[in-house]
Amino acid sequence: MGKGLKIAIGAAVSVLLVAALYLFYIFDPEAQPLFPKCPFLLVTGYECPGCGSQRAVHSLLHLDIGAALKYNAFMVLALPYIFLGIYLEYFGGKKRYPGIEKFFFDKWSAVVLLVVIIAYWILRNLL
Amino acid sequence: MNRYFYIDAEGKQKGTFSPEELRREGIKRDTLVWTQGMEQWRRAEEIEELYSLFSDTYREPQVIADQPAVRYDRPGEAAGPQTHRPMPKTWLVESILVTILPFMLCSSVLSLLGIIGIVYAAQVESFYNRGDYAASLESSRSAAKWTRIAMWIAIGWIALIVIGIILFVVFIGSLSGLAGMSDLLNT
Repeated sequence: MGKGLKIAIGAAVSVLLVAALYLFYIFDPEAQPLFPKCPFLLVTGYECPGCGSQRAVHSLLHLDIGAALKYNAFMVLALPYIFLGIYLEYFGGKKRYPGIEKFFFDKWSAVVLLVVIIAYWILRNLL
Repeated sequence: MNRYFYIDAEGKQKGTFSPEELRREGIKRDTLVWTQGMEQWRRAEEIEELYSLFSDTYREPQVIADQPAVRYDRPGEAAGPQTHRPMPKTWLVESILVTILPFMLCSSVLSLLGIIGIVYAAQVESFYNRGDYAASLESSRSAAKWTRIAMWIAIGWIALIVIGIILFVVFIGSLSGLAGMSDLLNT
């Protein structure tokens, strides 16, 4: 892939993400019918591990961390991890901190992550 | 297995050859080669698939002498085999990201693709450490494929949501005028 093309794709995706964040800022997914609904919740009546994360993002953008945690604690806690991954992969963090990459993005961390997701999935529907 | 063209000592283009045939043609590390999908001619030693042609001849006299240097260069791959070939890209970071992110967008089905990506990504390192470079490369390609599919569907899905919401707002706005618009924003 050429460098110019890469930059163009990166720019297009960034614009898209900013637009998405802006929409999540001005509209409350709780009150608006516009946002996608979880197919798993609709079919089974149980929440999936991601349910509430759109409302959580809306709350976070309004700096309401308490509400965000209540909507979806897992996603709020996973956000720093996601940003770390994006930094490591796309902004040169991999070369600068290979140790951090080894620790947080090892195959065992992937296993731990999947276990956490499944545990959260079960617990949020039980409690 | 790709088929390659190469440029010989006289500057003539020859091809196509499989990597094994290239070895018989006697190409060198700095021979320029090209195959489908490449933007320009590159030195043969820069191509993952062709690197083994040289490492075989190069490695033998100095296997033991070289090993400590390799270990110091790449502490993360200390358990790796005695070759100079770098580990193929694992795609582990990307595949983990495309496993978590879809949950935020109510498209958790995509996470399954991410998990397939993680499984292949984990194999890359295992095979590499075992010394099976070809299998490692194969896993790397599969991990890349599944991760990319999931990533592009996710990006397309975000685009769809954004465009859908914008169209909806414009539609409502044109139906009920500014008053309706402000109602919508205030709810």
